[in-house]
Amino acid sequence: MITAEELDLTRQALQTAREAGAQNARATLSKSTEDLIATLNGEVDKVTHCEDRSLSLALFVDGRYGSFSTNRLEKDALRDFIFKAAGITRLLSEDPLRVLPSPERQCRNARTGREMELFDPEVERIGNEERISAALDAAVFGKGLDEGRDWKLVSEEGEYSNAVYDMFLTDTQGLECRHTESCTDYGVEVTIEDANGDKYSGYWWDSVPGKAGFDASECGAVALRKASAQIGSEAIAGGKYNMVVESDVASKLVSPILRALSAYSIQQNDSFLMDAVGKKLFPEGLTILDCPHIKGQTGSKLFDSEGVATQEAPIIDKGTVSRYFINTYMAGKLGMEPTAEEAARPKVMPWPKPGMSRQDLMDSLGSGILVTEFNGGNSNSATGDFSYGIEGFLFENGKIVKPVSGMLVTGNFLQLWQQMAGIADDARSCMSKLIPTLAFSNVEFNGN
Amino acid sequence: MNRIRNIFGVSDAQLQSLVAEGLGTGGGWCDLYFEHTAYLDLLLRDSQVGSAGFHIDFGCGIRVLSGEKTGYAYAESTDYPALLSAARAAAGIAGSSCMANGRRPEQVKAVSGTPDCYRMDHDWMQVEIADLTPYLERLEAEIRRRDSRVVKVVAMLSASVSDIMMYNSLGELSTDSRPLCSISVQLVAAQGDRIESRSVSRSLRTGAEFLTEELLQELATEAVARMDESFEASRPKGGRMPVVMAAGASGILLHEAMGHAFEADFNRKGQSIFSDRMGKRICRKGINIVDDGTLPGNRGAVSIDDEGVPGQKTYMVADGVLNSYLHDRISAGFYGVAPTGNGRRESFRYNPIPRMRATYMESGCDGTLVDLVGSVKKGIYVDRFSNGQVKIGEGDFTFYVKSGFLIENGRLTQPVKDLNIIGNGPEALADIRAVAGDLKVDNGTWTCGKEQSVAVSCGIPSVLIGKLTVGGE
Repeated sequence: MITAEELDLTRQALQTAREAGAQNARATLSKSTEDLIATLNGEVDKVTHCEDRSLSLALFVDGRYGSFSTNRLEKDALRDFIFKAAGITRLLSEDPLRVLPSPERQCRNARTGREMELFDPEVERIGNEERISAALDAAVFGKGLDEGRDWKLVSEEGEYSNAVYDMFLTDTQGLECRHTESCTDYGVEVTIEDANGDKYSGYWWDSVPGKAGFDASECGAVALRKASAQIGSEAIAGGKYNMVVESDVASKLVSPILRALSAYSIQQNDSFLMDAVGKKLFPEGLTILDCPHIKGQTGSKLFDSEGVATQEAPIIDKGTVSRYFINTYMAGKLGMEPTAEEAARPKVMPWPKPGMSRQDLMDSLGSGILVTEFNGGNSNSATGDFSYGIEGFLFENGKIVKPVSGMLVTGNFLQLWQQMAGIADDARSCMSKLIPTLAFSNVEFNGN
Repeated sequence: MNRIRNIFGVSDAQLQSLVAEGLGTGGGWCDLYFEHTAYLDLLLRDSQVGSAGFHIDFGCGIRVLSGEKTGYAYAESTDYPALLSAARAAAGIAGSSCMANGRRPEQVKAVSGTPDCYRMDHDWMQVEIADLTPYLERLEAEIRRRDSRVVKVVAMLSASVSDIMMYNSLGELSTDSRPLCSISVQLVAAQGDRIESRSVSRSLRTGAEFLTEELLQELATEAVARMDESFEASRPKGGRMPVVMAAGASGILLHEAMGHAFEADFNRKGQSIFSDRMGKRICRKGINIVDDGTLPGNRGAVSIDDEGVPGQKTYMVADGVLNSYLHDRISAGFYGVAPTGNGRRESFRYNPIPRMRATYMESGCDGTLVDLVGSVKKGIYVDRFSNGQVKIGEGDFTFYVKSGFLIENGRLTQPVKDLNIIGNGPEALADIRAVAGDLKVDNGTWTCGKEQSVAVSCGIPSVLIGKLTVGGE
């Protein structure tokens, strides 16, 4: 955790920046600790201990701007660094649009860092013996889960970690913000081998902001189920299928929308959502809200990297694009009102009704392909064209029929979303983007 | 060596004591990795270099091995108490409490890496920023001069110099000073209501002499090359079809389809699809696939790896037969072979693991690219890529194609873009039908993201693969 001395060091960095010729500056001290136990096949394989501390500076010197960072925080070294940074900044082109955010937009209620209730002091008190015990308890290797099966577990890698992140942001307008969070994570990857010697892998993870209520015991079993369900998978004939995309991978279809709403993309004409605000480009059923202020939830935060206060606001409201994400610099460039710089905790709302599950969507569509994993691929940010590798399952009459892999789904985001057929209500709270299982009709797949 | 030793200010006796401390709970190996990296970047946007950055990262990672198990900790300082604390934390892998005296190396013996892997005639950290900004401005001007459809240009120059010092329980001390520079351009062009985005890049391990007029002209030309075709390009009808991969960046095929699966940690753990295939034929005779740390100035060059092992050229596949995995010290010990110089890490914050360097296939003797295209009745030719991925156990790989052409009756016809290609590593290797004699190593800004990010490169001659699944409409 950041100490009183380190808070003073950060404030002093602003003073030094002024001495070096900066009219304005922002300083951000980030500090973290992480302890991790990795297991391999039910035994401890790696023990790591990490402590990080670095200072980032944004300097505004004679109408010019530079960003700098160092982890050498000894008094003299830091002073030399800041003077060098100011000297570099002076050599750049003048850019009058580089300014600090107006103070009235900045966050004034993040004083202790604990306002979002994301920090659990118990996490700092967990020792390695307890961590090792938890990691070994969570491991499934050698515990008989493959007994009587037509496959065997050949490898299990798990990682159990505890971490604390602490950040203090201050600027020459008198802003002081703090954000502190802790987390307990467990992730496990298993590799199994079937009777033919073919290998299949599965991964699962869980995370909580603190320590209380964390249960890693099911992760290994879930990973095994995912791997074994893929036995015998193969590409099926290409063509149009309904598509259901499981919640833990569905961000692949939502993140490009959020990137396209970034002012950086808009200002560079590199967005398939140019001039989109106020237009109904998505179906009535799509509503995405930014919900950064829910206490105790991963991703919640009160301010962005400029210290600008985050807001609860719609991003897409019943199909209509509500906003771009515009930081102070881009607001000047675009002649638009600034906002927080990005969606902090976007939430895709269920449709057509709350409470639906993945199975409900499969039942409603009857047949199609359930996508449980994307294998590579990318999209064109300017056009929205995409092409992704997928694996998952063919389903008929709402029931899984066979596993599929080695297939591709290719299309355009704006067109794909017009084919939206339903949104479940099963987003995982451990993820910062709350995206439930999504369903689409008549999507083009390439296969055999 | 003295210059680098002075950066860290740690005496011989302290090095020896730290290793002894690391081995104090019974560990069998201990190494120290000191790093000072200075990094600068310049960004041109909207025709002005209006943003710059300068960053320093400094610290020491300490690793203790107990058999194949790893203890790892680091300090962002080289003050002796901080290093001692990290050594004790790393020692935890071998036991829960420190004994008084671990085995202390008897010496501090200098070890050299592969010479001339990288040169830096003009140190990036001594160059005035004011001397760099005109280069980016001229680059933008040259791009716009070549094609008036270009509406936006973002150009970024980044350069780092990492001074590294390593010491281990054999008493070996090695140092390395590693430059790495990259220049990248992203542009947006408009024609009517159509928008196209492009990116080009170059990256080498060299000094500021990197910024030549020749490079500037090359980048400007490549940035707008075949722009007409980009505006005409469309999605092909997808499906299984022959794929001709152009020389150079198509080396991503090797990186994804086999390189990762040859990294020895995946094999040691039984996870790789190639785990039990050493010594077996995996593709046709005459094919040699290499992972090479010795290409001078290459982004993947490694004079000495991050475990103090000299960089090497490793034949993963020799004459079509699986010849060697890519080893770090742990896997080399497991397999009873010498390490191959593939122990790499992102920074002192990470323990080293087996990683690729410059991965390429040597030239074949099946003619030219024209011959390969001419042999295909209906298929696809691909030459620019953005990213790839592989599933190690299943061997399923993908890579994303930014541009190419349909092949119809042995000729390139309709330009295509933005499609993913998927295949299976062993099947694709076995299905290589022809290899041209035009090996090219691509000098783009390739970064591999297996747990940690490291600089790599890739290359390949033009090759024909019998069938892969191509995304399309």
